[in-house]
Amino acid sequence: MTAVDVVAVPAKRVPWHRYAGMAAVAALLIAYPLVVKTSFLQTIGVLALTMAIASTGWNILGGYAGQISFGHAVFFGTGMYGTTLLVSDGWSPWLTMLPIALLAAGLGVLIGLPTFRLRGHYFSIATLAIGMMVMSILPNIPALGATDGLSVPLLDNGFWNITFSLRDKTEYYYTALGLFAVATVAAWLFLRGKIGSYLEAIRDDDLAAAAVGVPVRRYKLYAVAMSAGLTSIAGSYHVMVVLFVDPSSSSDLSLSTAIALIAVVGGAGSMWGPLLGAWLVIALQEYTRTYLSTTGRTIDLMLFGALIILVAVVDPRGLVNLIKRGYRRFARRS
Amino acid sequence: MFKRVSATRRKGRTLAVVAVSAMLAVSGCSSPDASGPDSDVTEIRIGTPLPLSGPNAPLGKDALQGAQLAADILNKGLPGLKLPLANDKGLPNLNHAKFKIVPADTQGKPENGASAVNHLVNDENVHVLAGALESGVTKTAAQQAERLAVPFVTSISSSPALTQQGLKWFFRTGPTDVTYAQSFFGLLDEQKKKNLPADKIAVLYMNNTFGTDASKVAKSLADSNNKTIVADVPFDPAATDLTSQLQQVRAAEPDALFVVAYPPTATLFINATQQLDYVPPAVMAFGAGFIDAGFIKSAGDGLEGMSRRVAWSEDLGNRNPAAKAVSDEYKKRYDAPLTENSARVFTTIMALAQAINNARSVDPDQIRAALTALDIPGRDTIMPWDGIKFDDQHQNTGARAVVEQRLDGAWKVVYPKDVAAQEIVWPASDAR
Amino acid sequence: MIDFLQALTNGAFIGAVFALAAVGLTLVFGVTNMINFAHGDLIMVAMYVGFVCWSLAGLDPLVAIPIAAVTLALVAVLVYAGIIRPVLGSSQLAQMVVTFGLLTFLRGVVQFAFTATPRRIDDPLVSRIRVVVGGVAVTGPQLVSAAGALLATVALAWFVHRTETGRALQAVGEDAAGASLMGINANRMYGLAWALAGVSTGVAGALLINSFGIDPLAGAAFGIMSFIAVALGGFGSVLGAALAGLLLGMVQGVVGLYFSGYTLTAALGIYLLVLIVRPQGLRGSR
Repeated sequence: MTAVDVVAVPAKRVPWHRYAGMAAVAALLIAYPLVVKTSFLQTIGVLALTMAIASTGWNILGGYAGQISFGHAVFFGTGMYGTTLLVSDGWSPWLTMLPIALLAAGLGVLIGLPTFRLRGHYFSIATLAIGMMVMSILPNIPALGATDGLSVPLLDNGFWNITFSLRDKTEYYYTALGLFAVATVAAWLFLRGKIGSYLEAIRDDDLAAAAVGVPVRRYKLYAVAMSAGLTSIAGSYHVMVVLFVDPSSSSDLSLSTAIALIAVVGGAGSMWGPLLGAWLVIALQEYTRTYLSTTGRTIDLMLFGALIILVAVVDPRGLVNLIKRGYRRFARRS
Repeated sequence: MFKRVSATRRKGRTLAVVAVSAMLAVSGCSSPDASGPDSDVTEIRIGTPLPLSGPNAPLGKDALQGAQLAADILNKGLPGLKLPLANDKGLPNLNHAKFKIVPADTQGKPENGASAVNHLVNDENVHVLAGALESGVTKTAAQQAERLAVPFVTSISSSPALTQQGLKWFFRTGPTDVTYAQSFFGLLDEQKKKNLPADKIAVLYMNNTFGTDASKVAKSLADSNNKTIVADVPFDPAATDLTSQLQQVRAAEPDALFVVAYPPTATLFINATQQLDYVPPAVMAFGAGFIDAGFIKSAGDGLEGMSRRVAWSEDLGNRNPAAKAVSDEYKKRYDAPLTENSARVFTTIMALAQAINNARSVDPDQIRAALTALDIPGRDTIMPWDGIKFDDQHQNTGARAVVEQRLDGAWKVVYPKDVAAQEIVWPASDAR
Repeated sequence: MIDFLQALTNGAFIGAVFALAAVGLTLVFGVTNMINFAHGDLIMVAMYVGFVCWSLAGLDPLVAIPIAAVTLALVAVLVYAGIIRPVLGSSQLAQMVVTFGLLTFLRGVVQFAFTATPRRIDDPLVSRIRVVVGGVAVTGPQLVSAAGALLATVALAWFVHRTETGRALQAVGEDAAGASLMGINANRMYGLAWALAGVSTGVAGALLINSFGIDPLAGAAFGIMSFIAVALGGFGSVLGAALAGLLLGMVQGVVGLYFSGYTLTAALGIYLLVLIVRPQGLRGSR
């Protein structure tokens, strides 16, 4: 069966308001730490951007290729553990990111080979099981710290060491922002052209796609490799911020669901989805735990749950879509 | 495909966006106060990172109540209580400044320990930290406190490694697992002197930081005390059944079983003993689940004959007037008994108060110096300890542990001999 | 040998609980084609219903079974009508988000109402029973759970395959549009499926409180095992889910005897192995 030649689509002129939207978001992101000064809000910023990178990775497999994974914490954990081990060995944190990402990509392919035969929910539950298996095995591996986990040695402050002052998280924030920009561009480049269209075809109807000659299996593997690599980079960065990794903080089911949830709430299948989703989910999560949880009467969980339901019911395609519709109505009125 | 959006949906959308923005705005509005010179200090803020939700929430709540009771007594006094600073209504050396406990929820997860400390120090401007219950959480929280140069005192976390990392801002008032385990081994030696077999030990423990550290301590002490570990049985902290694991223990025919389990799995352990109708000659629990009042109540008769190691005992407390006064007050306020956890936290807050009083300042370096120099005799605390005095690893050398056994629905101290109410009932099945 | 049999028996009994949890979940999937991630937490709510019956009215958990069943059926129908129905036409992802939000919300509500302190039923009727057969000990709660699981599975399977309404459910599950053309009200069938799932969770919860503590996170472990059991058994197959639940339980029991730190790993491993060999699960179609 010969593959269908993809016809080059003439480049459309991107409407100006798209660029304006992007510029506005970028401006907000850059201005954020200059405006907010409490440790609490700064932590939200750093964590949101880190998770946005992880979810951007997830999005490639889940949002664009339609394969919904509940085990992405495995890749995040690979980044965390990998970077910890290498930095303890003297590596510069930045240099660890790419090799560990490649390792994660390999892991992704290894996981994908047997599981991509499964479709739909079967695949999702299988990824959930794999994620949980990793988490249950990790406490038994002494080389990875077993139950105690591993600590990242405290390096001297400096950009090259990704170690900054703790009293003011601005430097962590901007580093994360830069990394997010790079990750988004990488994802965007990956999804341009043939790969992106093939993946979307697979998402919409993989049987039909196979019938017209799309090498479904191969492209799913490409997708999981890229997806795993990006998520791993997020993990590598995260461990430099928290300086600690153990089985529960790196491979818990709640981390996998958070990564997926962020992309979906924000809008899977859109480049902006993970960013919006991350800010909303992380802000909610941190806010409710810090300010509402101490009474022991968990209004926090109720609120969190209710709001997530609200978003899904109001617009199932996520926040991105919600905003687009709002903007369109505004544009029509004016 | 997608239904047309109804008016209610649109309202729902705006509501969600408004709600989230409002919440963020409110939290963003709190701005940090600058701390003025010490003559202006009217409030001493103690941050307490604890598990206030999640599986260990009952333990966290108990610990928080211990801290709050201490702060309250320091601020308002308790007539009849003869402890230093108990009736001074604030710190005498610091303009009678009052104490405020500022809690933060760690959910029992190590990764939240660090962010809780961060928030408490940077946003809530606490002067010192007291926490965090689980050894795994204390580890990350203490490292964060170290980076921020704020004194951090733990009462409950017993993993020895915590005071072996060379941290300069971290202190521990409570006993380590080594001290705790030594009380068990001392008890075993006493049994040997009576020619009862007490050499074979089985360890049943959760596969997490607390469990594996405790089991490591047990193993190394077994080696140095000429005892053998005949069964090493870790289990998943989220297990739904422990019968097979108890079978493994039974097959090894141990003389004593060390159990390390948080409340949910402690219940499973009791279930397993009842199903198999098997209890080793001695069951020695490493605190945690066996401290929780809810678990104790629900275990009922299933708990008879089992022992636990504690840093504070109600039995002993009744013989110490100050301890009894505090214990009664705790029960009156919170409708629950004072436990070794809340007793330890209470003691830590009182010790912190003395340190800050000695320092006459809330400056971190001065507080740390005062803690290092602290020397409180045991009779000035509610604990059955020699006192509070930190060695150069900042571990309290005066911390002691006792062993209590559950007999006739109450805990009786059975070791060491000088404070024991009676001898241990061995084998445990004789008490059931 | 006795030890092995004891471990196997124990595993089978906990497996019966997994089976009970899984059959309701697989039914909802078979009919509505969505996974309810909050399934385990519905069981948790049922446990609290049983607890309330006991603490307010002194009712033994056995008596609470029908009460919990009816209550959870109502809750399930409310959940369906309120938040599931609006997202039925949407993507799998939106449905997942909604049930995940429900999970969080339920845990929050329960902790708000009851705090996180674990509760227990003191001295339930069946806990006094203990039977020893050939050296293997079995407790009353275990027997009752097994009986409950067996009954629920048989009842559900019979209902789905032998009654007209059951066949209507199956029809809607296979082809909702086609079924509507035949005059079957798809919406009502979905509601019914959820109600039945509610009944099964109600029964499961009331049975569990005979031996387990009740707290907001009590449903988590059973929830996860029920997803695995449903996938292992084949999405939509009631018998498959039951068998899978039993298998998972037995694996955990036996492994707990020899490699106690790997019980969960082994159960998950078996599941993944079966899936590689037979992607549609033990009794799934296609």
